[in-house]
Amino acid sequence: MSNVFFKTPLSECIFRFKVYYLYRYRGGVNTLSNFKNFIKNALFFNEPQKTEHFILTESQDASPSEEQNAGDTANTKPDAKKRSRRLPRKTQAQPPLTQNENAPLTISKRLSENLDYMKTKYSLPVNGDIVLREFDIIVKHKVISAFIMFHDGMVERKIINQTILQPLMLLSNLDIKSTEEDIVSYISKHILPQNQLIITQEYTEVINMVNFGGCVIFLDGINTAFVADVKGWEHRNVQRPNTELVIRGPQEGFTEILRVNTALIRKILRDENLIAENISIGRRSHTPCAMLYIKDITNNALVQEVRKRLESIRIDYITDSGELEQLIEDNVFLPAPQILATERPDRVAAMLAEGKVAVIMSGSPFALVMPVTFFALIHSPEDSYVRFTYANLLRFIRILAILFSLLLPGLYVAITNFHHELIPTDLLLAIAASREKVPFPSIVEILIMEISFELIREAGIRIPGPIGPTLGIIGALILGQAAVAANIVSPILIVIVAVTGIGSFAIPNFSMGFAFRILRFVYIGLGGMVGFLGIAVGLFIHGLVLTGAKSFGVPFLAPFGPKTSGGLTDEITRAPIWKQEKRPDFLNPKDKKEQPTISKGWMNKK
Amino acid sequence: MVRKKVLRKVSTIVILCMLSGLSAGCYDRREIDDLAYVIAIGLDKGKSNVLKMTLQFAVPTAIGNGQEGGGSNGEKSSIVTTVETPTIYSGLNMVNNYISKQVDLSHAKVIIFSKELAQEGIHQYIHAIMRGREFRPNMFILVARDSAEEYIKNVKPSLEINPAKYYEMNLEAFKYTGFTGNTQLINFYLQQECTCSQAVATLAAVNRYKTTGDFTVKHSTAGNKSRSYPLEGDFKAGHIPRVGEVHSEIMGLAVFDGGTMVGELDGEETTYYLMQTGQYHYSYITLPDPIVKDKFVVLNVTQNRKPAHRVRMEDGSPKIHANIRLDADILSIQSGKNYEYAGNVHILEKAAEDFIEKGMLQFLERTTTELNADVCAFGKDMKGQFLTWKEWQEFKWLERYKDATFEIDVDLKIRRPGLIIRSKPAYSTKGEEMY
Amino acid sequence: MENKMVFGKWEAITLLMNMISTKIVLNFQRKVAEDAGTAGWILTIYISVLALLGFMVIEKLYAEFEGKDLLDIGEYIGGTVGRVMIGSVIFIFLVYIVTVVLREFSENLKIVTLTVSPISFVSLFFLAGMIVGAYLGLEALVRLHAIAIPVLTVTFLFISFAISQYFNISRIMPIFGTGLRNIFVGGFTKVSIFAELLILFLIVPYIRTHKNFKTVGYTSLFIAGFSLTMSSLIFLLVFPYPAAIEGFLPMYQLSRLINYGRFFQRVESVFVFTWGIVALLYLSAGFYFIVFTFKKTFNLTYYQPLIIPFAILIYTMSFLPPNLDSTVILETKYFRNTAWLVTFVMPIVILLIAKTIKKRKKEVKHSNG
Repeated sequence: MSNVFFKTPLSECIFRFKVYYLYRYRGGVNTLSNFKNFIKNALFFNEPQKTEHFILTESQDASPSEEQNAGDTANTKPDAKKRSRRLPRKTQAQPPLTQNENAPLTISKRLSENLDYMKTKYSLPVNGDIVLREFDIIVKHKVISAFIMFHDGMVERKIINQTILQPLMLLSNLDIKSTEEDIVSYISKHILPQNQLIITQEYTEVINMVNFGGCVIFLDGINTAFVADVKGWEHRNVQRPNTELVIRGPQEGFTEILRVNTALIRKILRDENLIAENISIGRRSHTPCAMLYIKDITNNALVQEVRKRLESIRIDYITDSGELEQLIEDNVFLPAPQILATERPDRVAAMLAEGKVAVIMSGSPFALVMPVTFFALIHSPEDSYVRFTYANLLRFIRILAILFSLLLPGLYVAITNFHHELIPTDLLLAIAASREKVPFPSIVEILIMEISFELIREAGIRIPGPIGPTLGIIGALILGQAAVAANIVSPILIVIVAVTGIGSFAIPNFSMGFAFRILRFVYIGLGGMVGFLGIAVGLFIHGLVLTGAKSFGVPFLAPFGPKTSGGLTDEITRAPIWKQEKRPDFLNPKDKKEQPTISKGWMNKK
Repeated sequence: MVRKKVLRKVSTIVILCMLSGLSAGCYDRREIDDLAYVIAIGLDKGKSNVLKMTLQFAVPTAIGNGQEGGGSNGEKSSIVTTVETPTIYSGLNMVNNYISKQVDLSHAKVIIFSKELAQEGIHQYIHAIMRGREFRPNMFILVARDSAEEYIKNVKPSLEINPAKYYEMNLEAFKYTGFTGNTQLINFYLQQECTCSQAVATLAAVNRYKTTGDFTVKHSTAGNKSRSYPLEGDFKAGHIPRVGEVHSEIMGLAVFDGGTMVGELDGEETTYYLMQTGQYHYSYITLPDPIVKDKFVVLNVTQNRKPAHRVRMEDGSPKIHANIRLDADILSIQSGKNYEYAGNVHILEKAAEDFIEKGMLQFLERTTTELNADVCAFGKDMKGQFLTWKEWQEFKWLERYKDATFEIDVDLKIRRPGLIIRSKPAYSTKGEEMY
Repeated sequence: MENKMVFGKWEAITLLMNMISTKIVLNFQRKVAEDAGTAGWILTIYISVLALLGFMVIEKLYAEFEGKDLLDIGEYIGGTVGRVMIGSVIFIFLVYIVTVVLREFSENLKIVTLTVSPISFVSLFFLAGMIVGAYLGLEALVRLHAIAIPVLTVTFLFISFAISQYFNISRIMPIFGTGLRNIFVGGFTKVSIFAELLILFLIVPYIRTHKNFKTVGYTSLFIAGFSLTMSSLIFLLVFPYPAAIEGFLPMYQLSRLINYGRFFQRVESVFVFTWGIVALLYLSAGFYFIVFTFKKTFNLTYYQPLIIPFAILIYTMSFLPPNLDSTVILETKYFRNTAWLVTFVMPIVILLIAKTIKKRKKEVKHSNG
């Protein structure tokens, strides 16, 4: 096999020439194309797929005409969006993918037909949480039978009683001074005191609404249904974020309710240019999502790209923004998140103000912000709330934490196995003494400890609450003390693993910490193979993969590779707040300046 | 499509095989506890072979278990082994036959040549050591006045557990004694290779005195300096009158001509050597009181500026002018004379300058007449006066050094008197008493 | 598709800087000491000036061919034949130097840390970096350069400062070393130290304007010349002349000397990182340009299928020299004395021809019109 593997490459070259020059105008020969495929596979060569690669163009590259175009679209597009936003429901009809082919798409005039249809659709009476209430109303001295339908638990029952049933059943026969002839407009204008009422003739819309906390009203004799938005289910209140705690700064986090979340952001930004576009994802679930951006800051191409990706998703159900993240990220195998998931409205607001796009999904307390660069992932919202000297200390500690969590075990293995001269003599002898009774090679030793540490970590999350604290004691005591006493590991190694673990907890982004936790094992392997050279090769390839990566068209290591302005002062360290005058260059925002050169007005002499 | 899948699998397997081949090949991987760490290497002239090599190994279990107070429980912190061998590396090979762990030299702190060997020439060993990756350029080069083996065997540090630390601390002591030099391997090598200077190595020996009753001044170099009593610098290693736990000691320098040892410097001469080369940090210098006989003045002398050398050729022989600038603090005035007083301080300064100048001239003349070795690297100044390498090489400085004449200008300034700023006599029944 | 890719001046400068000054960690300082004795640093300044002059000529000639690399110009002169000819020369040039440098780096690391490992094993790690680098393409490579080079520069500055205690001005005396003749006449061909400047003529399309081309060329030559000079000066300040040519791996020897107290010494292993990364950057960029040149020369659609074959080819070829010294001679004696013909003379000649052709065409057009 290896023979083939090593010999084919040369013949491949020659062959390619032949193919190019000889068979260019003759068309492929079948046997040859088989051979060609064989070689391609042996060489892991895939024809570059014709996928579109989105590149967020640098503004300096963009020719003026392009800029003009971008400006034009900016003027026209968002207006359309604004209009659509004012409507309570998205007007574009969803592709009727869930429809049965022989079922009626439009509502019938006869109530019984509608009733049957709805009953079959919702599998009544098998389905237990669907409430169907039949009653009669009197409109203009005519008795019309009607029924309403809603999901128990998803609606505010009081509102249904007071604003739907009560007016229809009791108040409909009041003498209303109106000349309204059309029964539909009569009911909608006079009888139903509901603030969000949709009048539709399509089942799809009715069903979508009912599935999402609506109450549908069917009347006999008209081919129109009224759907009232009476959403009201039990949900979590706005609480402290669980994963991104700060000492200084707002303490509220997102909840599972979309509109609460958008309101939390809007409350911070208070800008009419903040657009929250509705997009629903899921062929069956129709999960509502909101795409947020600030109209006159965010690059249009970016907004379009996010919209395109969101709208193109074909999936039945989607439950959390974690799934959504995986569906729209650029590179599945990149060892780093390409979308920032955050629980903090203030963080989302700050990033929107920079010119990024956020997506909030109903049912998920994590908002997704994109594009994101490596350095944004090591920032914490607190960085901008504390004074800049403190923030810089925090940043350096965090960089140290990343280095520790990624490299420390690998470096330990490399040094103790390959570079003995690097260790001070006293420490060397101490390590040698402590390792004297340990039966494992140090690479096995460190793997044992790292894996136990990961076990403690995973167990700590899964463990039922009351037992939680005991786990820490077990972990620390049993694994630390006993492993050393049993001569399974050397004490110095416990220090290494502990520092590594602490380092990985200090990384502000959970997902990023994950990436480093995995790669740590790679570095242990490389360090154990050829010492520092292995780690250098690892860093090189790691670096190449990261520099080659893009998050929504923005290079992942953006302000440094490629180099744009403000890398050192904004991404690694943090300049004082009055010095942060420009938005990140790599986002190519429409409005490049965040604040004037002198933002502290009181500094100016009158 | 099936074919494609199979192929993909096969090529994945091939790649995995290659990778596993990689991981199996941890050729250089050696655990810390798989190695035996040499701390000192001693080289003597062999009886049955060319070399007699003595290795001192650190015993990690005795040193590393710090919790119980280390080696105090009677465990030896180092072991010593001696082997006769043709070369250093072959000796290591032989040692590995009875030392269970592979010998590692990367933490060796000193390499000790016996005087006998050094007088025959150690050039070939220095080259072998410089070539070896494991030998550190920061290792110290020592010359044992009697036998390297004996010296290593007598290194039984009492203040620290780790003999490596003993060497490191002890050999750095020149920074505050001025009695040995910074004779790291790299310095030795550079001095030796430079065509404008000669190399030196620290002198080491085992002290012979068993009881205080054995003390004599017979071995002191004070006699050569027409002094009736020895000052603290008038000794070489092995002859310091002292007894105590530690028997090994270092003092003075061995002077080399190329790779061959040609002579020794005592402690005082070493101080002057350090002053001339600008390596002097600070030390106590005792000098006779300029006014009251048989009393001493002790100064803490520091060198804050590099020495200035000027070399001229006059009638074919080098004429060397050196300007040494020193600062000093007063530590003790036995006579009780008021030298601190700004009006009197120059008396003491003058005396100290004369004392140092005299000693330095004696030392430099010794380097030309007796040793014929430009240890103070005056050649460096000469070198700058040539334009091309060829001219300089043809000039043959090292040969011409023996005709050199010197002009020394020591400029010593007393800056601080310590805590006492006016000496006053003590009073007793006999009246004023000197202390 | 690829021509859409562009990168900034900074990326191009760091790329060239690394390509040219990689020799600092190889054998450069020792080599100039061998040639010019204590005046090695003067020789370095001299060849830097020569390289700048050479580039000045090329840059002036290049003004009319904005956005075209040497292969494009070759095509302009002689169609496919011209392109293939120039492409082959560049290809052979790059293959030669990348092969030799791969061997040198592997040998160096073998001497420095991996004494027991077989050379093929050590090379394999560099090869892995080269292959990944070539697969991910020039964009990722130049960006990594942009990030890594400042960090590497800091490490080298750190070494330089840390060993400053060993500096002794008398060691670079006599000031003219082995003599002026040796420096200024014999040293002329040593301008091949800047041979990797050739890469600049390949990345012309990516840096777009002639102004960028000028900035990149001058800046990188200046910085590389400066760092080469500094490195040879520092080496000669620490190691006196005869000893300077005795030791192998100058930068390693220097870093071994770092010694501040009992703790801060023996740190040279840390610089294995630096060397590893410098080597990987050099080799992967060089390797990318090998496959890129081959692709462009023969007008292929993709370069990716070439990567593995060429990697194996270079890997195998790097074992051809029987020992370390003959490898070093292959670089220092042959390559570093002749490469200037390719880097400086060839572009000048080609550009001159292209210029005359252009002029003639214009004249023909003029007379026709």
